[in-house]
This record gives sequence, C-alpha cells and structure tokens, in this order.
Amino acid sequence: MKVKKLLLIGATMLASTSMLAGCGGHSSESKAPDNTARIMVKDVIATMDSSLNTDVIGAQAATNTMEGLYRYKGKTIEPGIAEKVVKPTNNGLTYTFHLRDAKWSNGDPVTADDFVFAWRRTVDPKTKSQYAYIYEGIANAAKITAGKKPVDSLGVKALDKHTLQVTLEKPIPYFSKLITASFYFPQNQKVVEKWGKKYGTNSKTLVFDGPYKLVNWDGPDNTWNEVKNNDYWDAKDVKVKKLQYQVVKDPTTALNLYQSNKLDDVILTGDNAKQMRSNKDYVTRPMNSTFYLNMNQKRQPLFKNANIRRALSLTINRAQLTKKVLGDGSKPASTFIPRNMSYDPADKSKDFVDESAASANKYAKYDVTEAKRLWKQGLKETGNTGKKFNFVLLGDDTDTAKKQAEFLQNEIEKLPGLKLTLNNVPFKSRLSRSASGDFDIVAMAWNADFPDPINFLTLMTKNASYNFGKWSNAKYDSLVNRSMQEDANNPSKRWQDMEAAQNIINDQQGVVPLYQVGEAHLTKSRISDYILSPNGSYNMALLRLNK
Amino acid sequence: MGKYILKRIGYMVLTLFIVASITFFMMKLMPGTPFSNQEKLSAAQLKIMNDQYGLNKPIWQQYIIYLANMLHGDFGTSFQFNNQPVLQLIISRLKPSMLIGAQAMIIGSILGILLGAIAAVNKNNWIDSLATFVSIVGISIPSFVLGVILQFFLAFKWNLFPIALWDGWKSSILPSLALAVSPLAQTARFMRTEMVDVLNSDYIELSKAKGNSRWQTVVKHTLRNSLIPVITILGPLTANILTGSLVVENIFSIPGIGEQFVKSIMTNDYPTIMGLTMFYSLLFMIMLLITDILYSIIDPRIRLTGKEGN
Repeated sequence: MKVKKLLLIGATMLASTSMLAGCGGHSSESKAPDNTARIMVKDVIATMDSSLNTDVIGAQAATNTMEGLYRYKGKTIEPGIAEKVVKPTNNGLTYTFHLRDAKWSNGDPVTADDFVFAWRRTVDPKTKSQYAYIYEGIANAAKITAGKKPVDSLGVKALDKHTLQVTLEKPIPYFSKLITASFYFPQNQKVVEKWGKKYGTNSKTLVFDGPYKLVNWDGPDNTWNEVKNNDYWDAKDVKVKKLQYQVVKDPTTALNLYQSNKLDDVILTGDNAKQMRSNKDYVTRPMNSTFYLNMNQKRQPLFKNANIRRALSLTINRAQLTKKVLGDGSKPASTFIPRNMSYDPADKSKDFVDESAASANKYAKYDVTEAKRLWKQGLKETGNTGKKFNFVLLGDDTDTAKKQAEFLQNEIEKLPGLKLTLNNVPFKSRLSRSASGDFDIVAMAWNADFPDPINFLTLMTKNASYNFGKWSNAKYDSLVNRSMQEDANNPSKRWQDMEAAQNIINDQQGVVPLYQVGEAHLTKSRISDYILSPNGSYNMALLRLNK
Repeated sequence: MGKYILKRIGYMVLTLFIVASITFFMMKLMPGTPFSNQEKLSAAQLKIMNDQYGLNKPIWQQYIIYLANMLHGDFGTSFQFNNQPVLQLIISRLKPSMLIGAQAMIIGSILGILLGAIAAVNKNNWIDSLATFVSIVGISIPSFVLGVILQFFLAFKWNLFPIALWDGWKSSILPSLALAVSPLAQTARFMRTEMVDVLNSDYIELSKAKGNSRWQTVVKHTLRNSLIPVITILGPLTANILTGSLVVENIFSIPGIGEQFVKSIMTNDYPTIMGLTMFYSLLFMIMLLITDILYSIIDPRIRLTGKEGN
C-alpha cells in the first residue's frame, strides 16, 4: 500500500514536471556568435542537386547558395545572373537573356551554357527528376521527358557565352516568376560530370554562384553552415557572414534552444505555438498553401448542388479552427488561393485575394442560420427534402489532421439530417484514395509550385487530374483558358480573367476553402529583413543583423 | 563451437532471405508511390516517373532485380535523399544512434544488475522497497518523458549539458541517460527475482556453512548464476536500443537512424525500407547469437550443441 502511494505521488510529480518543461523559465543565455544568424529548419537537406530537389528545405539551401536568372527582392523580381528583367518577344514565345559577368566559387565564369546544361539535365529522362514537369511549356520539354524527343531539342540555346535564348511552345505569362525557383538554376557542367551520381550529396561536390557557400555539409546532416561567397556578383550587398542552420524536430526543444539564445529563429507548432502567441518575438509567416474541402460529385450527386456546397461552407467557423484547433499561424481562408503570393500587375499593393473579397466573403464565413436555409433549399432543389445523409470525411492521420477532422465533423453536423463519419488514413493512402475517387469529402491542400493564381485555378478545371471532386463550370474553364491563351500576353486582361474565375469558384464553392497554412515563428530582434519571398523561399542576401 | 556458429550463420542467411521476401511483397502492397510530389503528378507524368524508376515492371521482376542487386551489395538509392546510397545513409545515421544506444545499454545494464542484486540481498526491507520503486518508475516512465525532464532541468535550467544538437560527446550524455532507464529497470527486476531464487539454493547454504562472508557468497556464487535471465532480455533489448529511438532522437535533435525507418515507411521509400529491415533483422539475430554464446560462458552446463552436460 505504502509503495503504491509513493508511486502515485512520484508519478504525479514527474508528470507535472514534464508539463512544466516547455513552459519557459530562466536559463543562462549564451552570447550569440558574431555576424552569424542561427536558424532552425524542420528537416534535413535531401539533396543539393537542383535537378533532383523536391522540397522547401533543399530549395532554400539552393536559393542561398546558387543564383538563377532572377531573384525575388521582397515582392519584386530583380535580375540575378541576368543583367535585367526582360520582356518576351515573338508573341510571348521567346525570351532572350543577357548574362552579367558572374563567377562560380571555383573561379569558372557562369555562362549561358551552364543554364542550357542544367535545364536539359532536368528534363532528361535519365536524370529521373520528379519535377521535370515544371518545364512543360518550354519547347519540347514534355516530349523529352516522355522519351519521345532528343534532349538537345529543348527550347533553350546559348547564342554566345553571355546570351541565353529560351523558346516556349505557348506563352507562359508567369515565366519570370517560374525562373526564380531553384529548378531553373544553372549547373557547372565540369563539376556535375566530375562527380556523377555523387553530385549534390555533400558540399565537396558543389560549386556556388549565389550569395553563400555551403560548407562542411555531408548528406543527411542535421546541421550545416553557409558562409558568405565573396565571388558572388553582388557580394557587397550581403552583410551577414555566416548562416547556421539546425534541424530541430521537437517544438519544446526548439523553444528551449531559442530561450537560451542558441537559435535566432525557430518554428513553433502545437501547444507551444499557442502558448507563445503573446511573446514579443512571435510572428506568423503565411505559406503559399491552402487547405480546402473537396466534395466528390461523382459519388455523391447531392454535391452537384451549389446551395448544398455553400451550406457546408457556412457551417465552418474558420477563425476558431485556426486559432483554437491549429494555433500554428494558419489564417482563415475565404478563397482557395493564398494571400501574400500574387499582386495586381497594375498596382503592386493589391493582393489577388483582396480584389475578389466580395465574392469570397459571401459563403466562406460563419453563418449557421444561412447554412441551414441553403441546406434546406438545396435538399428541396434535388428532391431530397427530409432525407438523412451520412458522408465520410477523408483526411490525414496526423494529430493535427485528426483534431481538424473532429472539429469539422462537429461544425458540419449542425446541418439537420447530416452525419459525418471520419476516416483518417496515412498521407499516401489519402492521396491514392483521392486520386481514385474513393471518398465523399476530402480535406486536402495544395502548395504552390510557383507564385501565381493560375497554379491554383487550373487545378479545378474540368479535366485537371487534381480535380478529384469533379466540380466543373464551363464559364470558369473558359476564363482560365482565356487567361492562358488569348490574354496570355496582356497582363491586365489576364488578371481580370483570373479574378473573374476566382469569383465563380467562390460563388459556387467548387471547393470549400478552410485556411491558408502559416508558420508560427519566434524571431530575435537582432535579425531583420528576414523576408519570405512570394515563391516560398527567404532571400537571405537581404538579411541583416542588428548590433 | 566453430561448427555451431557456422550453422547459425547458415540459418541467419535463410532467415534474412525470408524476411527480405516477405517485406518486399508487403511493402509493394502499400498504397501510393515513393515520389514526394506524387500529388502534383498527372496520370501521364506518374506513368513516366514509374517507368523511369522501373516501378511499372511486374512485382516478381522487381523482386528478382532487387535480390540480384542486393547480392552484389547494392541496396539501391534512397528516394528521400535523392541519389544517396541506402547503405551510406544507414552508416552515417547509425553512428549517433549506436553511440547513445551503447552508452545507454552499458549504464542501464550495469546499474540494473547492481540495483537488482542489492534489492535481492536486502529482500523485504526498505532498501528492497526503494530499489523496487526505482525499477517500477523506470518501467512506467517512457524514455521521452524522462528526456524532456532531463533536458529542462539539467540543460535548460542549470546549464550542465547541451540542451540538444549533436556537438561532441557531451551532447550524448542526456539522451543516453534517458534511454538507459528502460534497460536499467528491466534488468533490475529480472536480476532481483532470479537472485532471490538463487539465494534460497542449497549451495548457497553450503557456502555460508563453509564460513564464507555474505559478500563473498554473493559475488562468487550468486551473481553469475543469476545472470541467465538477464542475458535473455539484454539481447533483444540491445538490438532495440541500438537502432535508435525516434522520440529521444527528436527531442535532442540527434541525426540518428531512429526516425529514418518510420519516415521511409511513411514516404514509401522502398530501398530504405528494405535496407533498414535487413539491417535490423541482422542485428537482432547477431544479438541472439551473442546471447546464446554468453549462456555457455556463464553456465558451463549449457552446451551450444544442445546436449546437456553431466
């Protein structure tokens, strides 16, 4: 009995201590090293080969150490290795870039051939790049990847050492945005061929033409350093000498490291993010990614009715979902296109999302009374008055996704006669089942490949492979197509087409937007100009450290 | 002995072959593809990717190719770490896991044996109760909870150790301590139970009658004879701990192997799943062999050929 009591007391004490851990406290702060920014990342660099990389960590490391034709500075695209941002000729089909005098870190000049080599290598089926499709639209790219055309038929040519010409199959209005991404960086042919399969697996196999150089990195390391590249063409504008990246997967550990001054910027998740919301260093950064509900019209014809879809949307209290359930810096979304990603070509201060606010806020708000009215009306229109429905909500099986599903179940079941059963499965299963139409409603997300609304809008056109719910609207399709074809070379008309398309999908609730994914950070005041570009990478050349 | 070990190695090869075959076919039943951007690929693009990686071939063909490559020492390249050979990945991520695992086993088993012995010798008094309490707490508290507590007090509050990160031997101490609790508690429990039995044996009475002190009796006759069940659990436990603990490694940001296995399954990284399964199986079997050899060293009555001594 005594032992039992002791055990109970002991266990209780230990449990409460573990709860305490992470609730802050005092630790002796260490001094930050001079001219070094110490940043937490969620995962390791999988590869530094820009033809093979598929994730944001690799893209960030590449953006820090390599330079493509253009680079984002804030919201603006600025020239990188190209001397200036060029306008296309030949009805938007030809881009001719003049390259500046830039050097690789081994002293070789960066030439047009380095771009030709890298781009051909990415589309070459032998490279097995998972992102080769991002080149589709450049002459012959898709055919080369499918093995139907030779690699040297790709629409990219070195006219001379410093002139690069790109030929497109059809105008790509967002081409300038596209080539800021790491998939379009140049590669030093000599170095790539020297290392063969080992290229990009450790820092010895790499040369750099960007603001920083990656040093002492070996494959799946949890930590890596990037030091200022004095050979970078714009080195005078790079003020921070060293970037120290550290993989931390546990949010409590991240917080402890931050509070003892071992890191300058950390990402918080879960309860830690909720707890630190009032901290002066707390900041949220929006990602180019939205979560939304996709309803399967093929399996549940009821979803063909717009009022039914609108009713579903109106039952969801998005503010509560993001604040109470997620609490990780995500923000309610009124449309399935993310904010802070694309701006009106005529007025950079106008966000694409804000310009269609009227249609967005009509149904993507919280109004249960209106939801019930529309539900009733929808049932009447489809001849289902008084019937009961039981739908299955498919989602991921992470803790957050489960909580989110429970919340949605609670909200949506406010509609009379509707029961929602939850089915949380591993991510890969969710993908397979979504793609094969094996679902009623699925909670899913899209991360932008490039920062343009069209990347999202095309998902919901009639024959798009990602349109799992099979929503379709002829007017929407024609607007999206017009923006890509006849209005492709007219930025303002194209913009209007996309806005109009967005108004349609908002009004019809083709998908029910939930929230824009955000990241909650703690960032020390010694760091400034730590700016997330619209393409999802930080431009670390702009980073400054305050004394 | 040599003959016995050779026979065991033969069995190991056979077992590995069976494990590889079952894992391969089960793995292929998992939904999805190993491509991290699978959701972004259209059906046509997905077909091209599958063709490029040979994933459209019939399963039996893929199986033959895999076995043939494996026999040449080629475990393929990881999908998560593009172009990184699986073998190299395992080796590089295994070092930290092995280090903290080995330290945890050494600390845990030595302290556990001592604790169990002390408890048995002091059966039914307060020392025994305290030792039992420690081992029950050790079994009840998961290593990751202890990890968080150790990190908070010893590193964050009192600054005695690094909070996390992998920077020299000092940063391996806290994770090793967190991991050591489970082997410590289990060893102590087994040791105590067995030793209490042994202490009641006739030969112990004889030893006492010969005028040996209690200490001499314990060290000479009791300890060694009580180790058999302890060794039985230590084998699999070692294999388990050496392969890394996902949660403890995450808490202390250690670049270990613990997480790779789970991640490879979540992402359908076929070559890594196979490589790690084979490695874990091999390690487990080696530990079992070592356990059997240790039996015969500790208790000469146990013959490895299976025949009983006289």
